[in-house]
Amino acid sequence: MNALRQVVSRLLGHPALALAVLLVLWFWPGFTDRGTVQLLSFVMLNVLLAQSINLLTGVAGQISLGHAGFFAIGAYASALLTKSAGLPMPAGVLLATAITALAGWLLAIPAGRVKEFYLAMMTTGFGLLCYEVLKEWADVTGGVMGLSGVASPTLRNLVVLGWKINAVDYFHLLLLVTALVLWLMRNFVQSHHGRAFFAIQASEIAAGSIGISPGQAKRRAYAISTAIAGLAGAFYAHLVGYLGPDSFTIMRSVEVLVMAIVGGMGTIVGPILGAILFTYLPEKLQAFAAYQFMVYGLILMVMFLLFRRGMAGAIAEPARFIPAQALKAVAMNTAPASPRIDAHPAPLADTGQPLLEVRDLSKRFGGLAALDGVSLALRPGRITALIGPNGSGKSTLVNVVSGIYTPSAGQVLFRGQDISGQTHHEIAAAGIVRTFQDPRLVPSFTVRENVLLGAHLQFRSSMLASALRLPSVLREEKTLLTLAEEAMAVAGLTGVADQLLDALPYGYRRLTEVARALMADPLVLMLDEPAAGLSEAELGCLANVIRHLKARHKSVLLIEHHMDFVNDIVDDVVVLDSGREIYRGDMQGMRRNPAVIEAYLGLQQAHHA
Amino acid sequence: MLELIDVSVAYGNISALKGINLRAQPGQITAVLGANGAGKSSLLKAIAGLVPVVSGEIRVNGRDLSRMPAHLRAREGISLAMEGRRLFRGLSVEENLSLAWSFGPRSSPFAQALEQVYDAFSILKDRRHSKAATLSGGQQQMLILSSVTIREPAFMLLDEPSLGLAPLIVAQIFKFITDYASARQTTVMLAEQMAAMALKVAHHGFVLRHGQVVMEDTSQALTQADVVTQLSAAYL
Amino acid sequence: MGFAAGLILGGISVGSVYALIALGLNLTFLTTRTLNFGQGSLMMLGAVAAVLFAGLGMGLYAGLLAGVVLAGLVAGLTEAIAIRPIARIGGSMGWVVTTLGVGIFLQGFVAKYFGSQALAFPSFLFSPRDHISVAGVRLSAQYLVIFAIALALVIAFELFLKRTAWGRALQAVAMDPDLASVMGIPVRKVVTLSFIGSGVLAGIAGMLVAQITGTVDSAFGFNLLIFGFVAAVLGGIGNTWGALLGGVFLGVAEKLVGGYISTAAEQGIAFALLMIALAVRPEGLLGEKEIVKV
Repeated sequence: MNALRQVVSRLLGHPALALAVLLVLWFWPGFTDRGTVQLLSFVMLNVLLAQSINLLTGVAGQISLGHAGFFAIGAYASALLTKSAGLPMPAGVLLATAITALAGWLLAIPAGRVKEFYLAMMTTGFGLLCYEVLKEWADVTGGVMGLSGVASPTLRNLVVLGWKINAVDYFHLLLLVTALVLWLMRNFVQSHHGRAFFAIQASEIAAGSIGISPGQAKRRAYAISTAIAGLAGAFYAHLVGYLGPDSFTIMRSVEVLVMAIVGGMGTIVGPILGAILFTYLPEKLQAFAAYQFMVYGLILMVMFLLFRRGMAGAIAEPARFIPAQALKAVAMNTAPASPRIDAHPAPLADTGQPLLEVRDLSKRFGGLAALDGVSLALRPGRITALIGPNGSGKSTLVNVVSGIYTPSAGQVLFRGQDISGQTHHEIAAAGIVRTFQDPRLVPSFTVRENVLLGAHLQFRSSMLASALRLPSVLREEKTLLTLAEEAMAVAGLTGVADQLLDALPYGYRRLTEVARALMADPLVLMLDEPAAGLSEAELGCLANVIRHLKARHKSVLLIEHHMDFVNDIVDDVVVLDSGREIYRGDMQGMRRNPAVIEAYLGLQQAHHA
Repeated sequence: MLELIDVSVAYGNISALKGINLRAQPGQITAVLGANGAGKSSLLKAIAGLVPVVSGEIRVNGRDLSRMPAHLRAREGISLAMEGRRLFRGLSVEENLSLAWSFGPRSSPFAQALEQVYDAFSILKDRRHSKAATLSGGQQQMLILSSVTIREPAFMLLDEPSLGLAPLIVAQIFKFITDYASARQTTVMLAEQMAAMALKVAHHGFVLRHGQVVMEDTSQALTQADVVTQLSAAYL
Repeated sequence: MGFAAGLILGGISVGSVYALIALGLNLTFLTTRTLNFGQGSLMMLGAVAAVLFAGLGMGLYAGLLAGVVLAGLVAGLTEAIAIRPIARIGGSMGWVVTTLGVGIFLQGFVAKYFGSQALAFPSFLFSPRDHISVAGVRLSAQYLVIFAIALALVIAFELFLKRTAWGRALQAVAMDPDLASVMGIPVRKVVTLSFIGSGVLAGIAGMLVAQITGTVDSAFGFNLLIFGFVAAVLGGIGNTWGALLGGVFLGVAEKLVGGYISTAAEQGIAFALLMIALAVRPEGLLGEKEIVKV
């Protein structure tokens, strides 16, 4: 079964197939009637719409139930620009796309700061609002009567660059545009920009810990997704020549969502399949049209539970998220060997200046002081353990330093600069990386893809360059993939590099998270209880990573309960109790220290054993 | 009597308890000791039904309850006070007690049950209408204990009640527990990181390390000086 | 009736119905941290069922009761098929899609078997023309009664929540489900009951809206869902008085905008208020800020 899926995947991803399909579609109109040509054009539009929501919801994880609104903006904008402002159709289409992208970007600004269900309501509201505006603003949109006379092959009044465009020509144009968008999208999804979108879907906080700004990623996802929806809208307007509000109701938004979900979200092939299915069904099955809403309702109720990966997931393994050429080059060791350029050059030797310093740090939650005047200094090349009983403030300290909480009092100094108050992704970008008690990774990525995420900030290619897959983009992927190989080797993950994360046992997930952190080339790495649940062998790999960082003069802070593990690798120990420091020194001293023993056991050590 | 027979608990892939065998007798306090992550909380949660057991049995007076949902175990007389001083912080002292009483056996009217609580902890009477979140740590712990006792449990499971409290308050709380247990013949399991305090009031003790029982003895035996070093080793 | 006074009373009345919708949303949010995207369709179902049952000879009041009961049952069913199975999978996209699916299905079902034309909703609370004189001002009787009913329900709900054992149990489940279950509270039952309750509120709200507008059709749910949500957000999600405050505020704003600017802008004001609220104070007037747990 699996072998068959692999074959289908390879087939689907092969450029020869894409070319063949393109050719077949190109010449098909010559063998069929006008009705079919119209239908094929609708398929193209639905492919674009389904991909637009796929990018936003399937890749970036931001739900939208109002995409019909953006579809409408693109359609009406282009119609009005060409009809009333007299712009030629290509200009109208491009401007309409830009306007829609702007609308999406603006909506994303408040959207970026609220939880997913608020977003779902907001986008639903937006879609409904657009519908009302279309109905009521009759002066501009024609209201319920609609907008007619838009340049289109149906009305035989579409002229582009002197050429009169008929239905077949229009279909060819639409086919090329759709193919182009699909190609750009595939390149984008397989670039670091696309992978960052998946990262924020999996966990915004974890994405922030490697320097990805969730707000920026969301705004970008919205802008690109709505641009595609607007593009589809503009082409829709010039296909049918008439626009009425009833084409842009909430059912449209639902239909688009259904296409993407049934086809399979998060893949490129999925939405294509979904679009084809749901363009044909209403046309060919009269019965379907009568039950359409009910069917859509049932699909939405059931798909999430039973067929999460959709049609595409049923027939093939999903395509990977790294360009195949780059993977091959690295596998064959033909990748360009470039010297490792440190993302954050560390001080060459122990100059005595601490890398990270915490001074009199306090953090209060309501009346409770989780941290009460703690001071700490991390020096390059030293491994420090942060120990203490439950509720002593260890995780709070790490959360404050990494920017998830702001301090109530005191300072956090990184390389001499006060960083308290910066956002968590800014702090990560500066060189302080942390892991979490519960490793947050992208479950549908392989180990390699997850580890590669760590290097996000070291990728320099722009979104456009990535979408075009310029040679510089491929070079960058190869270079950083080679570094990912090294990181995985240090963490002992080479053997499972291409396995899917959610198929692997817990220990590997922890190691992947640590390897990802390593890739980010941190100056300070803070590990929150990494040893929990690891086997002996895995503990060895973990120790390896930590020593690797020490050798390169980085600082490591280790929150741990696993004393045996800590004993073998740390240089310094700091013990907290009830938000205050009760001991600072080495492991042996800690074991004999009366205050520590009392904090842990409550026992007075009356005499030494 | 409370019996655990070969109980194993796992969270997904991570094993938290492996093959635990222990007994707790009515009228006695049994201490469960161990460092963080050793499995104390998992043990108590498994008995209360918040965490499913992967294998083994939890026998209460001979009946295996390991498949019963938590709220029904509460009706069977198992009462858990979770770690972290868990309370309904948005509700007042009296509302917390009323809630606990409403879903308990209700063998006496609320007013009477309330008076008993206030007799034991007069400070709770003074603050009866204050929101639980505004109480001090010690007062919250008293409220938690009262919420447990107002349900007249046959089995009391207490997870680190002494955490973050001053020794004087801890002494007061432990005295209350001891008196209650011997008066009602309640079976008490007391999980504590602070071994000394727990052993002072317990009759029997189990030490957990990495999800397994590594030491077991009467509390007297466990507090012998040379054993203390062994204990330290188990923790540190 | 003075123009502005009429608008304000109308706004308060409509707003109190929005408050009922918000209350229904709050109820399920409290117990499961989810919002039923099919809530609008439950409202529609209640109203449509009432018309149909009444038409079948049950009589008007029996029809209304049947509609409410039906809405409650379907809501309980929604929890079982759209929320509980998803809880195991986690994340928030799942239940949004499944509850939306229930709503779309209901809408399609009603449209298919009872037509998508608007059905006339009988007057059961005075007729739209009845007026009462209060301090020399003529006020619409219908609006007054609707406001009274909605207000009574809000107060009843708040009393239930704060003064009864089951109400406190509901709050308990909202605050800490594990703690609630070790106290002997049957959490799953409480969750199901909360959904049934929210369905009942939706059914009643649907009928009250249908009373105001005079008609009901299969599509009338979604707009109301959004209005209910905006009311809940303005007041603070999860807070009963907040729902009332938010609802009335929204209702009055909507009517004033409709009267002085244009009816077209009515939808826009809800959305605008939502965006402002989310940008400036997402926890609403009476809500509390949620602390991120890492």
